[in-house]
Amino acid sequence: MLASDLKTFQDASRRQGVILSFGGDLSENLLHALGEVLKLRMRQGTTDANVAKRVFSIFVEQAQNVIRYSADRLSPADAPLDGRVSAGMIVVGVEGERFFVACGNEVPQAEVAGLRSRLDHLAGLSGEELRLFYREKLRQPAEETSLGGSLGLIEIARRASEPVAYGFEDVGGGRSFFCLKAFI
Amino acid sequence: MDRIQRAATDRSPMVDFDFAGGRLTMRGESYPEDAAAFFGPLLQGLRAHLDGGGADAVTFEVALAYFNSSSAKALMNLFMPLEDAAAAGRPVTIRWLFAAGDETIEEAGEDFAADFSHARFEMVEVAA
Repeated sequence: MLASDLKTFQDASRRQGVILSFGGDLSENLLHALGEVLKLRMRQGTTDANVAKRVFSIFVEQAQNVIRYSADRLSPADAPLDGRVSAGMIVVGVEGERFFVACGNEVPQAEVAGLRSRLDHLAGLSGEELRLFYREKLRQPAEETSLGGSLGLIEIARRASEPVAYGFEDVGGGRSFFCLKAFI
Repeated sequence: MDRIQRAATDRSPMVDFDFAGGRLTMRGESYPEDAAAFFGPLLQGLRAHLDGGGADAVTFEVALAYFNSSSAKALMNLFMPLEDAAAAGRPVTIRWLFAAGDETIEEAGEDFAADFSHARFEMVEVAA
């Protein structure tokens, strides 16, 4: 049973083109280690260097979003950034001929409407508009509650080859499961 | 202001801010665990130097192969006082190095360059 259960899990991952996936408590150290493996994998394949950079960039921004903004935290709320440990998931894979990077984590229900409107806004912008919006945000002082995240979502949208897909699912307890999927 | 020197790590760049020599250098990759903690002392050092009187030329050479969005924000914070110093008459040059064919870093240089009107912003292509 054990082998068949785990094999089923692995087969499902392979069918979906997953080359790297992590679910559980994520820290900056873990992000770095996973990122190194991802870089190695892309260097060994025939991945175009510019595509590899875009995949890595989206991976870092998504993983840091999980670490910084997940509502499900193992570390104290006031832990410094380099000491934060937060639950979520991150998946990198290939679908068709394209790489994708997806992430998921719980967020407070109260943040859903704001996130939705920011993501809808980004999804409606062209490549050039995203670039101008990024420049504008780069010049502005950081938003009070943000740890640089407003720029992170724009960075993800800029490096993606189509509008970033997102979804929310109510998980009770005043929280929603939030996920993003970007194709490169 | 004392010189600031830091060796590169896997995720933070080599830094050499030689204020007396007017040469500031940053090279490598930048996605530190905490960008504010990494860049904060650099910004303080730079501000102290620029506010310390004198109008000696400053050249800031940036050769980053990758940086995350938090580092982009921090870089902007370093560039702003340099542009202000240039507006006040100090000769300031930013040299933005990018590897030939590296679209992401070349574009990022153009994004930053758009904000400079007094400091000189040079895009420097180097062999990949």
